[in-house]
Amino acid sequence: MTAQAASAPAGTRLKALKRITFVDVVLWALRVIVVVVVVGGTIGTFVKGTYTTAQWVDFFMFGLTIGGVYALIALGYTMVYGILRLINFAHGDITMAGAFSAYFLASSLDRAGTLDAFPLLAMLAIMALAMGVCAGIALIVEHICYRPFRHVKSLAPLICAIGASFFLQHAFRGMYGSTIRSYPDPEWMKGRLDLFGFEIPVVQPIVILTALGAMLFLYLIVQKTRMGTAMRAVSEDRDAAALMGIDVNKVIIFTFILGGCMAGIGGVLYCFVYKQIYYFTGFFPGIKAFCAAVLGGIGNIPGAMVGGFFLGVVESVGPALFLDGIGITAPYQLRDLIAFTMLVMILIFRPQGILGERLASQRA
Amino acid sequence: MKTKLVMKALAVAAGVAIGATSGVSAETVGPVTDPLGVVKIPKGAPIHIGGYWTLSGPDVNLGLDQKRGAEIAMDDHGNMVAGHPIKFYAEDSQCNAEGGQTAATKLASNRNIVVVVGPDCSSAGTPGGPILWKAGIPSVATSTTAPSLTAADRPEGLHGYMRTIYNDLAAGAADAEYFWNRMECKSLATIHDGSPYAEQLVRVAENRFKELGGTVTAAEAVAPTDVDMRPVLTRIATTKPCAVYFPIFVAAAAQIVRQFGEIKGLEDTTPIGGSALMAPGFLEAAGDSAVDFVFTNPDTSPDAMGNRYPELVKKYKEKYGEAPIQAFHQNAYDGMAVTLMGIEKVAVKDDAGNTYIGRQALRDTLFATKGFDGMGGEVTCNEHGDCAGFKFAAYKFVDADPESFEIGKNPIKIYP
Repeated sequence: MTAQAASAPAGTRLKALKRITFVDVVLWALRVIVVVVVVGGTIGTFVKGTYTTAQWVDFFMFGLTIGGVYALIALGYTMVYGILRLINFAHGDITMAGAFSAYFLASSLDRAGTLDAFPLLAMLAIMALAMGVCAGIALIVEHICYRPFRHVKSLAPLICAIGASFFLQHAFRGMYGSTIRSYPDPEWMKGRLDLFGFEIPVVQPIVILTALGAMLFLYLIVQKTRMGTAMRAVSEDRDAAALMGIDVNKVIIFTFILGGCMAGIGGVLYCFVYKQIYYFTGFFPGIKAFCAAVLGGIGNIPGAMVGGFFLGVVESVGPALFLDGIGITAPYQLRDLIAFTMLVMILIFRPQGILGERLASQRA
Repeated sequence: MKTKLVMKALAVAAGVAIGATSGVSAETVGPVTDPLGVVKIPKGAPIHIGGYWTLSGPDVNLGLDQKRGAEIAMDDHGNMVAGHPIKFYAEDSQCNAEGGQTAATKLASNRNIVVVVGPDCSSAGTPGGPILWKAGIPSVATSTTAPSLTAADRPEGLHGYMRTIYNDLAAGAADAEYFWNRMECKSLATIHDGSPYAEQLVRVAENRFKELGGTVTAAEAVAPTDVDMRPVLTRIATTKPCAVYFPIFVAAAAQIVRQFGEIKGLEDTTPIGGSALMAPGFLEAAGDSAVDFVFTNPDTSPDAMGNRYPELVKKYKEKYGEAPIQAFHQNAYDGMAVTLMGIEKVAVKDDAGNTYIGRQALRDTLFATKGFDGMGGEVTCNEHGDCAGFKFAAYKFVDADPESFEIGKNPIKIYP
C-alpha cells in the first residue's frame, strides 16, 4: 500500500466530517437523549416494579381504545389528503357534529330503554345517524370551502378549513349551549370481560373491534371496488385519472362521504367511552388524529390506522413506562409531550411516516 | 467631557423615572387630585363598573351565579351610586388565562370604568388583575382563591386586587384536616389541572396533610381538556391512597368521577372534589357517577352565612326563577356592595353636580373596608386584599338529575 492510497480514505472521512452541520449535531443529540430517556426510564420502571402485569395490560388496552378512535378520525384526514393534497382541519369538528347529533337519538333510546333492550340495533341507528350527519357536513364543507379552490395553488383552502372548524364549533355552541352533555351509559357497557386471565371493561374490546371492523371495511372498499381503484388512481395523479375517464369530482365526493362515515363511527365510539359531548369535543381528538395520520404516513390508509393505535398506546403507556423510572413526578401531565416527542422522533428517522412512501415532488 | 454628558443624561433619566414612580404625575380634575388619575362623571351620566366572570363553557354556572349576585347587590342599591345610574359591563372570562386577559383588556380600554368586580377564576384573575391595575382600575374578585393573588410578595400588578372570598391557604388546610380527622385517612393522592387555583390549593392541602402526619402517595396533574383519566387513576391505584383529592373544574372532574369505578385497586379509595363542582353542570357531565360523590366547599348553609343571606336567596329566586346555581353568589353580592360603598365614600361633587373619583383613593378605600355585614359573613380586608374568612363544609350529591340541584337538598351537607 502506498502512502497516497492510505491517505485517500482519511481525506474522504475529513470531507464527510466537514459536511456535518450544527443541525445534524442537534438532531443526533436529540435522538440520543430520547433513546437514553426511553431505555433508562423503561429499565428504571421495571426495576422499581410499581406496576403489575394486569396494570400494564390495562394501560395497553386504554391506549388501544383511544387509539382506535384516533385511527378512525385519522382516516378522514389521510383520505382527503391523499386525493386533494389538502388538510381538512374541520374534520375533528365534523366528528363532533355527528356525535352531538347522535347524542339526542342516543338519549331518547336510553330513556325509552331501547339502548339496553336492543343494543345492537340501537347502536347501529346511533352510528348511522352520526355517519349521515358527518358525511352531510363533510360534503357541505367540501362544496363551500374546498371546491372553489380546487385548482388554485394557495393557502386559501387551509384557511377555509380552519374557518369551517370554528364555524362548526360555534354553530353547535349557539344551537345547543356550551354545557357538557352526558352520553348514555347503558348497563351492557358497564361489565367486565375476562381476556386471557385479565379483567378489562367490556367497552374497550367493543370500541377496538368496531374500529378494526370499520377500518377493514374501508380498506376493502379502497382496495377491492371500482370506486376504490378510482380513488387510488386520483390519489396517484388526478389529471391522468381524469384523462382515463375517471369522474374526479365523484371520487372526491365519495372520499368525503367515506371520511365522514369513519368520523361518525369514531365520534360515537369516543362519546360512549368518555361519556361527554360539547361543542369543543372534536378539537383535541381531531388534532391527535391529524398527528396520527402524519405519524402513519399522510395519504396512506393503513398508515393512519397504525398511527392512530401507535399514538394512543404511547399516550397511555408512555408516561408510566418512560418517566416513572427516572423519578419524574406527575408523569401524566407530560402525556402529550411524550406522544409528540415520539412523533417528532419518528419523523426525524422516517420523514414519510411509519408506512408512508417517499412522494415524488409532483405529488408532494 | 463626554463622560460628564453621559452622567448628566443618566441623572435626568433617573429623575424622570423616580418622578414617574413617585406619583409626581398626579392628575387633578375638578376638586380631586389623585396619583393614578381621576374619573369625571358629568351630572346625570352613569358611573361605569365592569365585571368579568365565566359566562360560557362547562363552568358557566360558576360565573353566572356570581353575576347574578352582583346584579342583586346593584338592585338593592337602586341601581344608583353617588347619585348616578350604574352602567354595568359584564365580560366573559371563560375561566382561563386567555379569557381573563381578553376580558380585562376590553374593560381596561374603557377609561370611564372606575372599578371591576370579579373574576371568579384565579386563572383569569392572574393575568387580568395586572392589566386592569395598569389602567388604574382596582379589582374586587369574587371567587378567586389562589394564595398567590394576595400574597405579601405578590407582583406590583396585583396591588389593586382584592377579594371578598376566602384564601385557599385556609381552605386547603381545612380540607386536609377533614381528610385526616373526620375521614381518618392516613394517605392521600392529589390531582390538579395546572390552574393557579387547583395547583396552589392541592399544594396547601398536601403540606397540611403531611404536617398532620399523613403521607401523600401521589401528586398528579391532568389537563382541563383531558378525557382519558384511566391511566392516571391506574397509576394512583398502585399507591393505594385512602382518598384522591382533585379540586379541579367540571369537565375533567366529571371524567375522573365517571372512570374512578372502573379502576382496579381504587375500590377502597374515596374520590373528593372541590368547590368548583357545586353546580348542576357537574351532574349533567358526570351522570349517575355523581351520586354519593363528596366534595369540599365553603359552608353555604344559612347559619354559616351572614344574617341577611336568606333575603338574598329569596331575591335570587324571585329575580331568576331558580335557586342559586352555585355557591359564590353571596361573595359576588358582597363584592359589589363593598364596591358601591367605596365609590360613595370617595366620590366628590362639584357645584355643577359633576362627580369625581380618584382611582388610587378608590383602591385605598376598598382595601380599608372593615366590619361590613356581608351576605357571606363579615367583610374585613387586610393590607393585601384578603377580605373574607373560610367556613369549611363537605357536601354529597344524592341525585344525578341536574334538575334536582338545590344546595342543601342535592347536594346535602354531610359535615359539619
